[in-house]
Amino acid sequence: MITSVGQAVARRAAASSSLVDARLSSTLVVPSLAPRQERQHSHRQKPPHQQSSSAFSTNPARKNVVVVDGVRLPFAMTSTIYEDQLAVDLQRLAYQGLITKTALDKGDVDYLIAGTVIQEVRTSNIAREAAINAGFPASIGAHTVAMACISSSVAITSAVEKILCGQASCVIAGGVETFSDVPIRLTRPIRQKLITMPKAMKKGGPLGAFRHLTRGLKMKDISLETPAIANYTTGEVMGVSSDRLSAKFGVSRLEQDEFTVRSHTLAGKAHKDGWYDGEVIPYKGSTEENGIKAESTVESVSKLKPAFVKPHGTHTAANSSFLTDGASASLIMSEERALELGFKPMAYIRDWSFKSCDPFEELLLGPTYCSQEVLSRNNLNLESDIGVFEIHEAFAGQLLSNLVAMNSQSFADENFGGKKVGEVDMSKLNTKGGSLALGHPFGATGSRLVTTAARRLQAENQRFALIAACADGGAGHACILERYDN
Amino acid sequence: MLLNTAIKSLALRQSGGAAARQLSQQVSCRGHCACTPIAPATTLRLALDSPRASVVIPNSKQNAFSTAATTVATDRPAMHKVPSKDPGETSGKEGSTPFVPTPERKYKFFRNVEVTPAGVAVIRFDNPEKKVNTLSFALMREAQTMWESEVHANAAVRSVVFTSAKESGFIAGADIFDISSVEDKSSLVPVIEEALQFFLRMKSKKVPMVAAINGPALGGGLEWALWCDYRICTDSSSTKLGLPEVKLGLLPGFGGTQNLPALVGVQGGMDMMLTGKDIRPAKAKKMGLVDLVVAPQSLESVALSTAEGLANGTIQKSKPKKKSLMNRLIEDTPPGQYLMWDKVKKMVDKNTGGNYPAPYAIVDCVQYGMTHQYGLDKFKHEREEFAKLAATKESEALIGIFDGMNQMKKHSSSADPIKVKKVAVMGAGLMGAGIAQVSAEKGYEVLLKDRDDVSLGRGISLMNDNWEKKHSRGRMTKYQYNLNTSRVTPLSDLTESWKRHFQSADLVIEAVFESLELKRKIIQQVESVTLDHCVFATNTSAIPIADIAAPGDEVKRPENIVGMHYFSPVPSMPLLEIIPHSGTSEEALATAFAVGNKQGKTCVVVKDVPGFYVNRCLGPVLVETCALVKEGVPLENLDKAMKKFGMPVGPISLIDEVGVDVASKVASFLSNADLGKRMGGGDISLMAKMVEKGWLGKKSKQGFFTYTGKKDKSIGSEVKSYLKEFTGGRVSNMSETDVQDRIASRLVNEAAKCLEDGIIENPVVGDIGLVFGIGFAPFKGGPFRYLDAVGITSYVDRMNRFAHELGEQFEPCQLLKDYAASGKKFH
Repeated sequence: MITSVGQAVARRAAASSSLVDARLSSTLVVPSLAPRQERQHSHRQKPPHQQSSSAFSTNPARKNVVVVDGVRLPFAMTSTIYEDQLAVDLQRLAYQGLITKTALDKGDVDYLIAGTVIQEVRTSNIAREAAINAGFPASIGAHTVAMACISSSVAITSAVEKILCGQASCVIAGGVETFSDVPIRLTRPIRQKLITMPKAMKKGGPLGAFRHLTRGLKMKDISLETPAIANYTTGEVMGVSSDRLSAKFGVSRLEQDEFTVRSHTLAGKAHKDGWYDGEVIPYKGSTEENGIKAESTVESVSKLKPAFVKPHGTHTAANSSFLTDGASASLIMSEERALELGFKPMAYIRDWSFKSCDPFEELLLGPTYCSQEVLSRNNLNLESDIGVFEIHEAFAGQLLSNLVAMNSQSFADENFGGKKVGEVDMSKLNTKGGSLALGHPFGATGSRLVTTAARRLQAENQRFALIAACADGGAGHACILERYDN
Repeated sequence: MLLNTAIKSLALRQSGGAAARQLSQQVSCRGHCACTPIAPATTLRLALDSPRASVVIPNSKQNAFSTAATTVATDRPAMHKVPSKDPGETSGKEGSTPFVPTPERKYKFFRNVEVTPAGVAVIRFDNPEKKVNTLSFALMREAQTMWESEVHANAAVRSVVFTSAKESGFIAGADIFDISSVEDKSSLVPVIEEALQFFLRMKSKKVPMVAAINGPALGGGLEWALWCDYRICTDSSSTKLGLPEVKLGLLPGFGGTQNLPALVGVQGGMDMMLTGKDIRPAKAKKMGLVDLVVAPQSLESVALSTAEGLANGTIQKSKPKKKSLMNRLIEDTPPGQYLMWDKVKKMVDKNTGGNYPAPYAIVDCVQYGMTHQYGLDKFKHEREEFAKLAATKESEALIGIFDGMNQMKKHSSSADPIKVKKVAVMGAGLMGAGIAQVSAEKGYEVLLKDRDDVSLGRGISLMNDNWEKKHSRGRMTKYQYNLNTSRVTPLSDLTESWKRHFQSADLVIEAVFESLELKRKIIQQVESVTLDHCVFATNTSAIPIADIAAPGDEVKRPENIVGMHYFSPVPSMPLLEIIPHSGTSEEALATAFAVGNKQGKTCVVVKDVPGFYVNRCLGPVLVETCALVKEGVPLENLDKAMKKFGMPVGPISLIDEVGVDVASKVASFLSNADLGKRMGGGDISLMAKMVEKGWLGKKSKQGFFTYTGKKDKSIGSEVKSYLKEFTGGRVSNMSETDVQDRIASRLVNEAAKCLEDGIIENPVVGDIGLVFGIGFAPFKGGPFRYLDAVGITSYVDRMNRFAHELGEQFEPCQLLKDYAASGKKFH
């Protein structure tokens, strides 16, 4: 089945229908890459045509930053096991789990960074609160970052930047999300009135306050605002956007469903085989991730009705990632510090990209652009150099569309000066399951991708891993890891 | 695993604050209620728990004795009795040099009085010889001199602020040594009267007085503040106010029983005085005990400006808090009062079992005050009651325990303990989880290790559930909860990093199954990963420490091995037996002691013999209980008699609570040990057969009693027929005293034998061990104080009579015979 999906995608990419190309050409505004590449090359002083696999390790000027370890709390469907927890508690538990796993002395940590998306107002700097409550020394700084679904990717790369700048040598970076307690707000008119209420109370007493509250209020104002998974600028719901993207790249409902089942099957197998032992830390004694439906079949998922674009859309509740609660944490160090503390790092973090794209047309196509950038900048060949792919599965349609785009000649002609990103070998992609099955706590997924990719590099003895993810706002991310030989 | 798992009943009793609260809620009217009882065991435990408790006994004996000797004995002959124990220590260093006034330091117990330009006299308590301020008679006398010469005649003084020059707190209480050193307690009356006259004299200056409190203001300290017109305290976590005299069998004698109810109402006042509990700043403000709560940093400036304001009329003196309608009905109308006192007395009856006179005296003083509101009679009555209480043996016993507990805080050792940052606990059962819990609560980093995730998970949730409960009851903030859980690192054999974690452990405590082989294997495992300094403590109740630590293939560092015998459930049991074997290094012993102390346990060092001290003493009790059952004494009578004696539960309930299987094991283990005839006279197959039947006690809902529901227990027909078979149909209506004497004498004799054999170092250790270990009647002060009180000679006679009538198991030990012959006393 895996191969069948792969073949289908490959075929699609090769054929790359003219319709797609036509649309692309009319809508895409992609700045020329040439000057940027030049600038970056000179900045990094990288020999222009070095053999890809030795591009990094031989450069003595470059400080090596490594992933030492990483953990995640079991990702769980919203309003299940973490129903009563605050996001800060989940992040705290992830930090604690990382310390348990690594036996790192909390005092050896220089800094903590956490990513999160839906903010709890009481813990706007959630990294700091989680750190204090996890018993880290009060002197250790911490900050929080937000970049939609790649928030913890930013957390990790920020950690690397800190280390490269010499400001830190040991950073915990991770992220957290809970949808079990999203801020449900009163409508704006009521909020305004409540905020100005004390003034009215002072002036007119309780009666004045009541008058102030009710004056000019309309029936429709008496309502609640719940956060939607939609883009602010376009007003479009992610699922709708992804549905359009899939249509554009000709990814069928069947392909999406097959890919979904693949994800669940692989995730179920990985858990059953104990692959995730250690990486997933127990919550109340269990490491079960309750979103995985290992028994699902194409028949069962194909019965579902479209969830976003009705009635002809291809995205369903099954082939879209579900609302998930969870937290993760990665231990990032300079190579020097890691060895000094007696750790065996898993991988180097080599380079990354946060290139973004047009949120109206191709909101979730970031992985393609970012992969292209990070690979070409480092003279890596997707097909021959990358042995491990960990690509975020927001929607089966979104992921497959990206695969099509990467391997599309016409897309490459339009955007990358004719050089395709390449064809992703399905046997190397998300082989331990992906977000469709494991779940996708927005702020925590980035760190999961890094940990799993790094562990896979070690286990599968591959040299390079490519991590890629899309995010709201047209943001994207790709990152290159290189195996660390201990 | 012997008694290891649990003198639960005791624990329940002793952590009985909650239970007491529940009880009080059942009967209370509303709000904070007067009916909150004093549970004797609770009270005691609270007193013993709190390191800065109430009526303070100086930290070291040197200080106590020397202070008394110099400041009290010189002019008050009644007080010069220096206790005969440890005579060497009375030649204290600091205190023996008399205080010489200088212009910079005119008074011994006060800093020089400062008068601000606005006319505020600032008086700072500052006892140079102690870490904390205490109210001694010497201080009271000096205060009079100071007041007359500095304040009273000084027209420039328009208001007064009392505060402490010490960071450690305001005043931690009255100097208990003053009281215990007086032979004739009635001589306390004039001394207290003099102090009271002084308070009245201060009032007569008619300038506003402000108490500025940071840290503990307890006992006499709070009473001083109650004489002031305005009280300001800080919101510091160390600030607490309370009148804990009841815990020592006394009452607040400096006008506290009168001034407190007048300020906070009868219900609030009774609650404080009968339980002796500490009131935290927020609560103090709410109940009207203080007028203002401020940050420690601004205490002084706020106190000064308040004093100024009170003097010039911009701030009003504090008035008693306005009562709610319901409280007015209860406290201020005759029928309400009748109901209230009725309930208070019932609660006191229920919780003291009539064994503690102090709560009754407190009730009496408050009632007397309500009927004699005007004039000074009420204070006279109060101090007379105080003197009466001070003369009771209950008070002497409680003070003895308190004193003993303070002595147990220090372990004289030639070596310093190693600095322990990380404690590793092997085994996450009830015991291990309990040890981990108390360690984490006191700030240790904890490694909790067990074989697999399942056992580990159980241990972790035991701990978390306990903390969850504390949090939901408001006794722990979410932050503290989070910190505690974060301090515990759960490790199983599957956690690859466990060895790395153990490298930084300073103390490893094992609480695994009672198997010599297993324990030695664990030592081997631990020694291979820990650093050389790491101390290894074994928590066993049956295996000799010497066997566990015998050098060999598994054990390379026997000098680091020491026994730490916890009692289950660890979080609520206050005692810890520490058992060095002959090769234990002083350093390891000191370390175990220091850690046990920090864990909040009262530590007694005992010798490495079967049963150590506490279980060893319990063995003969179990045998005697079996004997009494065999003679046909009804089970209820046994329980009732021993509860009346002052034990928290009777022996039958004790066996049920501990587990019949556990009790049976203890009995048979000790029967086969070195106690000989002292374990004779009873048929312990009584319990063994019950174990065979699966009657394991409360845990299996069926022991001697059948447990239905949460509290109900009864004796089922099966048990009745079993007992009938066991007794052969005999029924005895033995008197309560005989039951008490037979059980108590075997306990007490074994304790004395332990002293004779050097298993315990001295009678203080013996008293503390049994009071804290099995809840031996606190008002009797422990087995040795009990012996002193009833008279050793008559006790020996009684035992001899028993020995003659019942058998040699009652023969008093040589030590008792010697003491009886020489007329010596233990204390």
